[in-house]
Amino acid sequence: MSTRNLSRHGSRLAQGTLLGAAALLSLGGDVHAASFAGTVTLPDGRPAFGAMVSVFNAAKNQKQTVYTAADGSYAIVTPYAGTLDVRARLANYEDYVSTVEAAQDQASRLDLRLGTFADAQLASDALSASAHNAVLPWTRADDRHVFVSQCNYCHQIGNSTTRAPRSHDLWLATINKMEGYFSMVTKAQSIRFASTLEKGFDGRPVEATHDYGATDELARAKVEEWQLGDGFSFIHDMDVAEDGKFYGTDEGHDCLWVLDPRTGEVERHDLPKSNLPRGGLFSGMHLAIGIFTGSHGPHSMAQTKDGRIWITNALSSTIMSFDPASKQFKTYDVPGDALYPHTIRVDQDDVVWFTIVASNQVGRFDPKTGQMTVIRLPSNGFFRWVSGMLFPTLLRISSWFPDQVLLLNFSHHRFLGYDVLAFPYGIDVNPKDGSVWYAKLYANRIGRIDPKTLAITEYETPLEGPRRPRFDQDGIFWIPSFDEGALMRFDPATAQFESFKVPGVAEGEYETPYALNVYRPTGDVWMAANNSDRVLRFSPATKTFLSYPSPTRVAFLRDFAFTKDGRVCTSQSNLPAYAIEGAVPSYLCIDPAGGERDRAALASALVAGN
Amino acid sequence: MSDSPMPNARPASVKVYAALLAASAVFMALLGWSASAYYVPAGCLLLAALLLWSGRGYGLIKWIVIVNLATGLLLVLVLWLGDGLGERKLDVSGVMLLGNLLCGGPLMGLWGSAILPSLRPGRRLFQWFGQQPA
Repeated sequence: MSTRNLSRHGSRLAQGTLLGAAALLSLGGDVHAASFAGTVTLPDGRPAFGAMVSVFNAAKNQKQTVYTAADGSYAIVTPYAGTLDVRARLANYEDYVSTVEAAQDQASRLDLRLGTFADAQLASDALSASAHNAVLPWTRADDRHVFVSQCNYCHQIGNSTTRAPRSHDLWLATINKMEGYFSMVTKAQSIRFASTLEKGFDGRPVEATHDYGATDELARAKVEEWQLGDGFSFIHDMDVAEDGKFYGTDEGHDCLWVLDPRTGEVERHDLPKSNLPRGGLFSGMHLAIGIFTGSHGPHSMAQTKDGRIWITNALSSTIMSFDPASKQFKTYDVPGDALYPHTIRVDQDDVVWFTIVASNQVGRFDPKTGQMTVIRLPSNGFFRWVSGMLFPTLLRISSWFPDQVLLLNFSHHRFLGYDVLAFPYGIDVNPKDGSVWYAKLYANRIGRIDPKTLAITEYETPLEGPRRPRFDQDGIFWIPSFDEGALMRFDPATAQFESFKVPGVAEGEYETPYALNVYRPTGDVWMAANNSDRVLRFSPATKTFLSYPSPTRVAFLRDFAFTKDGRVCTSQSNLPAYAIEGAVPSYLCIDPAGGERDRAALASALVAGN
Repeated sequence: MSDSPMPNARPASVKVYAALLAASAVFMALLGWSASAYYVPAGCLLLAALLLWSGRGYGLIKWIVIVNLATGLLLVLVLWLGDGLGERKLDVSGVMLLGNLLCGGPLMGLWGSAILPSLRPGRRLFQWFGQQPA
């Protein structure tokens, strides 16, 4: 067994701190491969509360993680065997990694001691993006607001990839490149942003002490992660299907990644080719929208009762069904000038509803009749009306000149700002009355569509950036405010909002909640917190947030789905994927009680072993 | 010396329209700093202002206004009612939009709808252009 602390330069042997003295207990009976129990301590010997103990499989493409209790104890049962890395990680301390040979049916006692960073740079490098972007010296408050909206949109700003020091000109070029990927800033903002980023990301270490709020509840949890795809994958959403498998839409490669979490087996299913060029209807944008190499851009998924999985294809303006049994895809055109079909949900009657962000529409598709209806939403102002009218035409003109991003030279967002579009984004179905609700990310509104009459009613949200909302079982609409780092609760019966600010992990840091889902048996709201590498769980009963630190750094998470046994699952979806720690995306699931079960299982095994 | 106006003295309408076109050109150029395509209508508006001011290029300015109004009208009609064109709809609207911008954009459409009637034979602007040496 070898033990080491990690630095940014790679691994190195810990100096005289081989506390990873492991007592290997050969156990009979009902035990698992690679089970570990022990304690994690701080450098001064005190117990580490809330530390993550991660066990990597031998191939290092899967890992499982538990959190330590207040006394520093942990126990983890994994299916792995062979040469395994076991890592302890806690904010503000240096990782501790032990490499262990684990045979089948063997449990090990493994105590781990966290390290102290050798210098301020190493401590800074281990901080989440939230610490780094908190020090950006904004000269105008509204600039920071636009920065949060437009520059944290698809990725973190402040992780190791995005905080690299650049000159003003290089930042300008970078921002211009991002505009080609649809970041909508004005020319003046781009110049001020370049100045701010040049000054703020200067390569000097940042000081922050992060508090992820360890709790006894956290110590009950377990996280499982499965890597899949590659560094250029963009697995936008994942969903849990009725067959128990995880399905993920890879917009980068026009394919579905299907994982059987019981076996770890991964299948790739390529979408059928379209007649469109790379980038689909967006081929005129820069490199066809980032890393996209296909023309469909599969984005979001929902499953109907017949088992078919429905997919929005953002770039080709189509929806597609995938039959898990026959592995066959079928394509359906979305008529009119529809641009960028986005989030998709299925109602109680198996009717498919989806937002169409760039053309301010909602689509309705009945798989039983094949009838497709596109509903134009209220424009929300003159300039948004103009945008809605002209945007498809501008995109078509741009497509005549691939990769030249001609759109930027025409669009009035270059002088009016990003909110010239309404951007209907998330969507969900109210379980109480079957009404369909959407959130307009840029127009700061939510809206209700009557499923029978298609009549629309909109409400202004008290906070900006309503992104991907969901209903709970009581018909309460929960909405993440991406721009203002908060959770909104909307009661359709009273049309009243209530807002809850997401606590940062340190003073002065902000949060970017992208999406959420409600686990209906408990009512808990699970929410992405994409600036600080954690998942949030909000309890409506106590109106408090609980943080689950992500074992993987650069956690940019999107839709959440639940397994039948109550695990909450999502995909690591930072753009680019190679910026994620480990350099590839993954599916991850949090089992709120999985750590507790491992403790119980291992305690009995250890007792049996003794 | 007579104090009656010189035969080629600029009518007030020329001064007003030329000023509006020039101001529109400046406005479009300011937008062009942010989105460079707006320099195109800015250039056209400036050209139209100069032509109108100098009373030269009657045919050119007339056709600029006509093409501007025609493309603008067709653009609106195609976007509004053009679903029957299918895949070609956005190609047609794209050409119309480019044509409209090349001929001064929406501000030219605004002023042009007032200028065009005055360019008809016998009207004030027609006479103004006719007074200038070829």
